[in-house]
Amino acid sequence: MKILDSIQLRISGPICQQCAHFQNEPAHVEEAYRGLTVFSSGFASVRDQDGFCEYNQLYLSARDSCPHFAPRHTPPKPII
Amino acid sequence: MTPTETKPVDANQPSGWQEFWLKEDWWAVWLGLGIVLLAYVFYLSGSSISWIAVSPAKWSTLSQLGAQLSTTGIRYLALLGAFLILFTVVISFIGQKPKAFIPAFIFVFILSTVIYIAGSWDQANRYNLEPPLVALLLGLFLSNVVGLPRWLDAGFRVEFYIKLGIVLLGATLPFTLIIWAGPVAILQASIVSIVTFLTIFFTARKLGLDHRLAAVLGAGGAVCGVSASIAVAGAVRAKKEHPPIAISLVVFWAIILIIALPLVSRTIHLPTGVGGAWIGTSEFADAAGLAAAQSYGGYAGKGLGISGTADQALASYTLIKVIGRDIWIGIWTFVLALIAVTVWEKSETNSKVQVGQIWWRFPKFVIGFLIASVLTTLIVHGNTLGDYNKLVKPALIAPITSLRTWAFTFSFLSIGLTTRFRELAAAGIKPFIAFTAGVIVNVILGYILSVVVFGHYWSSVVTH
Repeated sequence: MKILDSIQLRISGPICQQCAHFQNEPAHVEEAYRGLTVFSSGFASVRDQDGFCEYNQLYLSARDSCPHFAPRHTPPKPII
Repeated sequence: MTPTETKPVDANQPSGWQEFWLKEDWWAVWLGLGIVLLAYVFYLSGSSISWIAVSPAKWSTLSQLGAQLSTTGIRYLALLGAFLILFTVVISFIGQKPKAFIPAFIFVFILSTVIYIAGSWDQANRYNLEPPLVALLLGLFLSNVVGLPRWLDAGFRVEFYIKLGIVLLGATLPFTLIIWAGPVAILQASIVSIVTFLTIFFTARKLGLDHRLAAVLGAGGAVCGVSASIAVAGAVRAKKEHPPIAISLVVFWAIILIIALPLVSRTIHLPTGVGGAWIGTSEFADAAGLAAAQSYGGYAGKGLGISGTADQALASYTLIKVIGRDIWIGIWTFVLALIAVTVWEKSETNSKVQVGQIWWRFPKFVIGFLIASVLTTLIVHGNTLGDYNKLVKPALIAPITSLRTWAFTFSFLSIGLTTRFRELAAAGIKPFIAFTAGVIVNVILGYILSVVVFGHYWSSVVTH
């Protein structure tokens, strides 16, 4: 089935967490999204490791990837 | 290797262990279960943690209150010290600055003490001084009228306090109740969540809004408020400007419903268990709903014609909200992510949907809530009702309930203190219409299911 092709169990290849365009520090997310802390938190499990892609102007998962990947100059924090 | 070259990491490697000390959810589990175990150790040794788990006794006059505080004042200081030590450890581990947190938390504790004491006045109910509502309104006044320095926000951790309170709440709910009422809670919450989501989603689409914004709004109204919106936003790759729209709408309606749902329930004299179920079905965020449910439970036994107990309101609320709605957030994000990559947006990213997000996004504090419930159920097992009321309740359950009330009060106050209306993003008329349509459906359907269909069920919730 075509839909099953879109599901994967393990990640391979470069991901947003390693990309220079990606920023997902919880404090940064809370600062950017004023009001987030009223009923949620940058440090909540539901947020996983999501963050901002400054290239695509998206809010997405650290496990995502795209053709515009650019390696970081500094090593990324490990994904948790 | 040059500095620009980075070895691909395998995101499935054991670095996931770091979640145990970097996420608030897990810290709520560690602290909550630690408190329960400590309380049990003291109980087994014939003692109790009740000395430090201080709570104000009922008082009528200021001289009575003065006399009470002159003997218990040292216990409040000890409690402040204990909370400060524990919470500062948490704040340090998750990467925030203790220097800002410590004075901010002392501010929260002092205000919470005043609110808790005011709520213990024997005339408090006459003037509608329900502690959760007083905490919320005082916080809103201070943040929006008086104005507070931004650095104080370090101590206003609504989510952390509420999660800790929910884990402690688990210790006061029998696991048999969760088993008995869980399936009905899941059925009722699922019906409302799906209908509300579809209402918001298709109204938004009809108004021409983007698929992803429609999904982010729908999740906020149907699952668990801001937490669901932000989780779905990440899963469906929302545009950067989408989450703030949902945040503004959830905050706006959640605060209205904190006040409106208990008020309407009180007017039509709903039993506390039924009122709690309705609030659990129709409120969005955990903290907002607990403020409303605790307020409504406070009306029980006050000669207002409301049957049931305060605990029933909290129990039915928590069953519907936590068991019926919160734990399914991973499934919602997985399904919506799958739809996003296969139908809505195929071009912007090239990755696939990971099944693991069902666990990654699971609200882990629920695990602590369930374990706490199992633990106390095992501890209490074998006691007669007489022994429970005479021995177990005052020495073990009452101190945990007191600490739970403190955690909830910190959270309710922090809701008000963090809500700065002028800082919320403008939502726009179309998202407002779509979300409001969902709110209307949610409240009406929630009422029908909680009162008409399952009313007999929720009014008979047994909490001991």
